[in-house]
Amino acid sequence: MDSAKEKLTSLLDELSKASKLPRLSAAAQDVDKIIELLSEAREQIANGMDPHMASLTMTKLQNPIRTAFDKVNDSLKAASSTHKKIGRSLDKHFPLKPLPSDTDTMAKHIPLINRAIAMHLLREGQFGVAATFLDETQAKHPSSASSRPDDRMVQDGDEAVADGEDGMDGSGDADFSMLHSHELQDRFTEMYSILQELKTHNLLPAIEWARANSAELEARGSNLEFELTKLQYIWLFKGPAVNGLPDDENNGQIGALTYGRLHFGRFQGRHMREIQRLASAMVFAPNLPASPYHDIFSIDSAFADVASSFTREFCSLLGLSAESPLYLAATAGALALPQLLKYTLATRARGTEWTTAQELPYETPLPQSMLFHNIFVCPVSKEQTTAANPPMVIPCGHMLAQDTLQKLCKGNRFKCPYCPSEGLLKDARPVVL
Amino acid sequence: MADLEAAKINHDNHLLLDQSCMRLPYELLRQNFRSFHLPFDKGSNSVKDLLKETANGSLNGKVSPEDVVKNLDQMLAKMRGLKRKLAVAADEEDRLYRQMDARVAHMRELASLNTVDDVKYEGWSRQRLDRLLVDYMLRHGYGSSAAALADAREMQDLVDIDTFATMSRIRTSLERGSVQEALAWCAENKKELRKMQSNLEFLLRCQQYIEMMRTGVHSQMLEAINHAKKHIIPYSDTYPVEVSFMAGLLACQPNTHLEPYASLYSSSRWETLADAFVEAYLKLLNLPMTPLLHIALSSGLSALKTPACHSTQSQGADQPADGTSSTTTTNDNNTAAASSSSSSSSAPQRHPPHHHGTASLTTRVCPICSTELNALARNVRYAHHSKSRLLDHDLVLLPNGRVYGRARLDEYAAKSGLPPGQVKDLVTGEVYPASELRKVYAT
Repeated sequence: MDSAKEKLTSLLDELSKASKLPRLSAAAQDVDKIIELLSEAREQIANGMDPHMASLTMTKLQNPIRTAFDKVNDSLKAASSTHKKIGRSLDKHFPLKPLPSDTDTMAKHIPLINRAIAMHLLREGQFGVAATFLDETQAKHPSSASSRPDDRMVQDGDEAVADGEDGMDGSGDADFSMLHSHELQDRFTEMYSILQELKTHNLLPAIEWARANSAELEARGSNLEFELTKLQYIWLFKGPAVNGLPDDENNGQIGALTYGRLHFGRFQGRHMREIQRLASAMVFAPNLPASPYHDIFSIDSAFADVASSFTREFCSLLGLSAESPLYLAATAGALALPQLLKYTLATRARGTEWTTAQELPYETPLPQSMLFHNIFVCPVSKEQTTAANPPMVIPCGHMLAQDTLQKLCKGNRFKCPYCPSEGLLKDARPVVL
Repeated sequence: MADLEAAKINHDNHLLLDQSCMRLPYELLRQNFRSFHLPFDKGSNSVKDLLKETANGSLNGKVSPEDVVKNLDQMLAKMRGLKRKLAVAADEEDRLYRQMDARVAHMRELASLNTVDDVKYEGWSRQRLDRLLVDYMLRHGYGSSAAALADAREMQDLVDIDTFATMSRIRTSLERGSVQEALAWCAENKKELRKMQSNLEFLLRCQQYIEMMRTGVHSQMLEAINHAKKHIIPYSDTYPVEVSFMAGLLACQPNTHLEPYASLYSSSRWETLADAFVEAYLKLLNLPMTPLLHIALSSGLSALKTPACHSTQSQGADQPADGTSSTTTTNDNNTAAASSSSSSSSAPQRHPPHHHGTASLTTRVCPICSTELNALARNVRYAHHSKSRLLDHDLVLLPNGRVYGRARLDEYAAKSGLPPGQVKDLVTGEVYPASELRKVYAT
């Protein structure tokens, strides 16, 4: 069934083969040969300066030179036929498909795209590239930073103008001005230095950060601070042989115990049971692997886990998603592109474009991992619910779109389309999914 | 199942954005060969001819040995020149093959994957994004950024810095009012440009003529007429109207208001020329006209966007990372908490002032709601779905009208340290006894 994959594989195999076929460089040898023949003849004639000798040498030169030129031409032909072979492989297995580019809606929003790219580079830790990019975009569009607010006013005629404005610690929107004040860059530099320390198994900077942001983290229902503290306890518990820290009273079981006494107190409300387990493990210290506590003390992936949840929390507190939105959007774009292409070809052929203003006219299936909001499609009307047409729960627990419910109603009553129960309109309520 | 189907990689369709990445080395191989082959052919013919001539002359005594040596020196000089040209072309060819090999290796990684859920897919797709970014930077003239990113990611062979650097150089020269570089490029690609019926050279020749006319100097205008005879009149069958305009231009001063002559004299014509050049340049190499990132984004933003992403009425419920939601959510809480008698919480309900809408470890921030793309995505349509797609199963309704998956509520309750039998709203933080939950069905 998977002929597409086979096609790609054949293309790649053929290209790999072609790259081993004769190239232009093969002609060099015969060009050298010609030069050699010519200079030999020149030396001979120059030495004697004898007319008879000269004409003899020149006559004898004709054939070898012609042969050498023929060989050069053969090499050139071979190189060119390699190119043609590549062209045929591409045309056969990878024919050029035109991209939908007649309406480039993104071209109007270069400053916004530039901003997204700059933030992407920063969150990827590419600070040098980001700095170059910001300089270059500024040089090209000197007004883009100052013109952005207008840009927004025009686009956001509605209340959404406040978009992001009241975010993060009053630091304002993460827009170009923020990028330029290096604030965002500083944040990400902080994030990367903490991650760097985590990589070398130093939890202290991360713990310090978590403690400083403890209230926000708790409100998010994040256990990060406790997880970090717990890991530090376990890490100390393992002792100098494993953690490589100095062998003193701050390390090993004694060190862990001191650390735990000092820091677990604040988590007792929420994590009492786990703290008890961590403390009880002391008793089994000589033979932990066989104890009931072995699972909490095997920390193979623990550092990688806290590192990824640290990244997630850090970005969330900045109002940013943990994965780069630009990455997700580009990947989703590649996945949805075939549908867009199919649609543009079809509408162009028909010369019409039917569309609702706000919704795409065709389906673009994405994998579950790219789903971030619940999508509720009314099972009766097959319409996607929106703020204007919200999902409603009726007394039997079934959900329908508001418009559907209105149409089902006879007077104030309706019958559920999915079960025998009946209900009153006033008992149905809008819900937020 | 639909999800599995959506996650499956169709290797044919998946590489729409990567066509130029795979094809360009081939196009450049041919261009490189062409630009070497023609001069080489000419050069080697002249060497062959001179050789024959000299041999014949020497044989019938017309050419002295001194002249034979002189001629041989001339041939040697020519051959050494051709050798250098060959070396340059061969080096370029090797570089292009190296690029092709690198791209083949890059695509092989994808060929080995079957689904986007494969852990290796992310690495591949990230590299693709880097390629798209470099393409974007190059096309918008951010050359240093493009080079810096390519270096940082060690992917110089996967991107086409040189190709776009050449394009930028010629485009800039046109924007600065010089046609020389563009004309030289036209000469190099004469045959191909004719094949694709490009009018670029004609436009450039006209511009030269216009500039000579603009001076108003008699000698220059005479030269303009000669120029027109040589370079413009030959086009009179192909572009009769334009050629007649050029003739008409003779009668008009640069400050004329008469159309089309005013437009012909306008300095904005240089921008038009620059655009025409870029179009011809991209077309010649079979490259798409728009930056690939634009295409990817306009398709991807729509596919990811939901009605909830920019909805302002939804009380911020569905917009985790959107700044708008955080104030509304907090307000919502206060009123809800005040009116709700059901919240028999023992855990303190803390809502720090800058609590960011989104709730828990289990909520992922939507890329469209995230600051980076939110404003950009405002301009695109949201995705069409014909079936509900829910993040959770086993949905339950809280008394405040919010619906969550049961498992997620339980997880959040545990993380928040609630006593058994209580749940906490993931967004608003309201606490309810589990007995007040109602099952709902999305059918």
